[in-house]
Amino acid sequence: MVTAAIQTYGLTRRFGALTAVEDVTLSVASGQFFGFLGPNGAGKSTTIKMLTGLLEPSAGSIEILGQPFGAGALELKRQIGVVPEGMALLGRLTAPEYLRFVGRMYGLDRATTARRTDELLEFMQLADESKKLITDFSHGMQKKLALAAAVIHGPKVLFLDEPFEGVDAIAAGMLKSMLQGMINRGATIFLTTHVLEIVERLCSHVAIISKGRLVANGSIQELRAGVASTLPGAEHEQRLTLEEIFLSIVGAGEQPEPQQELSWLA
Amino acid sequence: MVGIGGAGLGSGPGSVGAGQMPLGGGAFGPVARAQYGALAKLRWQMLSNGLRFRKGKLELGVRTLGFLIYGATGIALGGGLGFAAYLLAASHEMRFLPLVFWATFLLWQMIPVMMASFQEQFDLGSVLRFPVSFHSFFLLYAVFGLADISTILGGLCCVGICVGLTVALPGLFLWTTLTVGLFAVFNILLVRAIFAWIDRWLAQRKTREILGAVFMLLVLSAQLLNPALHHGFPDFHQPNHKDAVRNVQHYRDMQAQYEPWLMRVNAVQEWLPPGLAAKGLRQVGGKTGEQAAGAALGSYGLIGLYTLVAGVVLAARLKAEYRGESLGQAPKRTKTAPIRAKLAGGLAAGAVAKAERASGWLPASTGPVGAVMEKEARSLMRSVSQLYVLGAPLMMVFIFGSMFRSNAGIGHSFTLALPVCMAYSMLGFTQLFANNLGTEGAGIQLLFLSPTPFRTVLLAKNLFHATLFGVDALIAGILVSLRLGPPDYSVLAGTIGWLLFALPANLAVGNIFSITMPFRVNPGRLTRQRGSQANALLSLLTQLAVMAVGATVFGLCWYWDHLWFAGPVFLVLACCSVFGWMRVLRNAEGMANRRKDSLLLTLVKTE
Repeated sequence: MVTAAIQTYGLTRRFGALTAVEDVTLSVASGQFFGFLGPNGAGKSTTIKMLTGLLEPSAGSIEILGQPFGAGALELKRQIGVVPEGMALLGRLTAPEYLRFVGRMYGLDRATTARRTDELLEFMQLADESKKLITDFSHGMQKKLALAAAVIHGPKVLFLDEPFEGVDAIAAGMLKSMLQGMINRGATIFLTTHVLEIVERLCSHVAIISKGRLVANGSIQELRAGVASTLPGAEHEQRLTLEEIFLSIVGAGEQPEPQQELSWLA
Repeated sequence: MVGIGGAGLGSGPGSVGAGQMPLGGGAFGPVARAQYGALAKLRWQMLSNGLRFRKGKLELGVRTLGFLIYGATGIALGGGLGFAAYLLAASHEMRFLPLVFWATFLLWQMIPVMMASFQEQFDLGSVLRFPVSFHSFFLLYAVFGLADISTILGGLCCVGICVGLTVALPGLFLWTTLTVGLFAVFNILLVRAIFAWIDRWLAQRKTREILGAVFMLLVLSAQLLNPALHHGFPDFHQPNHKDAVRNVQHYRDMQAQYEPWLMRVNAVQEWLPPGLAAKGLRQVGGKTGEQAAGAALGSYGLIGLYTLVAGVVLAARLKAEYRGESLGQAPKRTKTAPIRAKLAGGLAAGAVAKAERASGWLPASTGPVGAVMEKEARSLMRSVSQLYVLGAPLMMVFIFGSMFRSNAGIGHSFTLALPVCMAYSMLGFTQLFANNLGTEGAGIQLLFLSPTPFRTVLLAKNLFHATLFGVDALIAGILVSLRLGPPDYSVLAGTIGWLLFALPANLAVGNIFSITMPFRVNPGRLTRQRGSQANALLSLLTQLAVMAVGATVFGLCWYWDHLWFAGPVFLVLACCSVFGWMRVLRNAEGMANRRKDSLLLTLVKTE
């Protein structure tokens, strides 16, 4: 039996009276490119924070690579890479300084850190900007740097929170091929994004969270078949895009009708 | 395309560890040591990279100056306390030694509140995404606190005490070092524990508001404490021998009255760390090795226990942070259905009225000025650190009110008490005046995007702060009058004149500092703020300069016995400062636009 790279059991997070994530049981197999979708405020980032040890679950448990995961699981922490919500960059460092810092914090030796820093900067096309402070980087450059920092220690499991936001098409293509290469070499990627087209193209499996609860989980084909079965006419299944599946599951009916929209807007 | 094969990204389970050092070894294992090194290097690189900017150079200069000032202050305090310890030990008055330890203790614990905005602190929470063990995290938290002002001052005081006692009693050197060392460790852990917990309470709006209310109550209670403490104290001003004799008699009566109470206080303080430290030294005095150890075992054991408790309290807080405790507000879910219903049906008349009431306190005709003032008021009500600014002047009046009443040199009712208290009231507003954009954060972008001129925004902020100061000054003035009697009309006129000069002067300079060297203020934190030391020091110097002008004018008028003349002089100065303030406001637009990048960089972008 193949061990799941990420496994949660009844994962729950409460903030006072509000339950942000409720009873999420999820399994992501090793080598999977997994898309985690949901509308704004559904609990995606909260889930990622719990999965990466940045937020303590109120209930439930997490296993990464078959071992129980918590903030103190240092060896496991070394096997995961994260591009967090705010990117967590240090604006007053240059890109090489930042990557070397991250490498050392993950316990890489100096020679490996230096070699990987150079390779990553070259790959991310940031080598020419090595004298510039991160704070002067564009948003897209910062995203690329955050991704480089997330992979410098060669993680087996990579968590990406909106990695393509603000990244130009050329860089996005390059990043996608890098991520695909990681998958081909056995890594697992857990991705949240609002760009459903990217998920459709990259991910083999998808879970959808809405109002803190997992409302769908499976391969895109399975979700497509599931949604199509609720619609009249079998021909729907072939034509359904991920966007249609997503809207169907999380409730397109919540969008205001055109005549109900703000009439005073031009 | 360039490959990254060498990085070993996801290249299978066996290769993940390539180039990685083995974990383990606790807080001093190879990985932990590499992490400490990386953090130290990070701090150095952030500092040296900061020198690329003019602001960074200024910061470094001011920081160096600051450390020299704090160092000199610490040496003076340490020297004073050391001398006191020496005198007490040399004259065999060790029973008063607790006073020296209590002074150090209070200094150590109070300084962080006073100096929160004067020191830049690194938020260690950001390292938690790395494989950092809890022991390393705890150690880093304790070590990063060693360079703060309270530890520098407290540490130098401890060194002073140690030197003073050793000179007087060389035979007790080892015991003195042990006592003072233990006492210092206790203080370091306690102050870190207290502020870690305060930051935890400030992190959430509800607890922040409760803490703010408690703080304001404490300030008001202090005001009530003042007359209560001084009720019945004799007037030390001695116009003649008969009064002096009566005062001495009165003092003896009071001594008899308060002695039992003081004895009880003494009995209690002996069980607290500063008292225990002094008691331990008293117990080992005149004894040899084992005898001394046996005599002081209880005292040192208790200090050790207190230190352990402080460490455990700190560890409990850090453990929660380490485990991934989130202190932020819970994300609100989008309630699309009710919105849709509202959009469809329109707002009911009552709801419209309610929305109008909620949208502002000031009349709509006040326009953007009113809107900014209301926003400032709302921000202020949710920020304990800023509420502290409001309460601090009242605390200062409490302190100075006592001083003027009881100081023999100054007399019962110091003539210039009112302007002095007003000056101190204004001192509390230094950070509000000099960093009036600090609470904007990312909202600064809106100020640049909106059609409202930047000078209007600054005008509104200035008006709000001036109103706030007016209220504070009025309360402080009433308190001074109640405490020391109504001031002379000439002093009152002079004080009002000085305020009319000082307020616009401070606002004008504050506007310049706010644009040129702002720093982001986190309303949910008292410590671990990223303050600008250049701003803090220069704004303080401005305040002192304005006070020096006031003191000079008042001093000269008093010297020539024409105190009434201070009023007209200040009015002339006030005209100049109002003119200067208006000029700064007129130029604010251009100044802000020229510094737009720097403002956005500081208040919006990544750390």
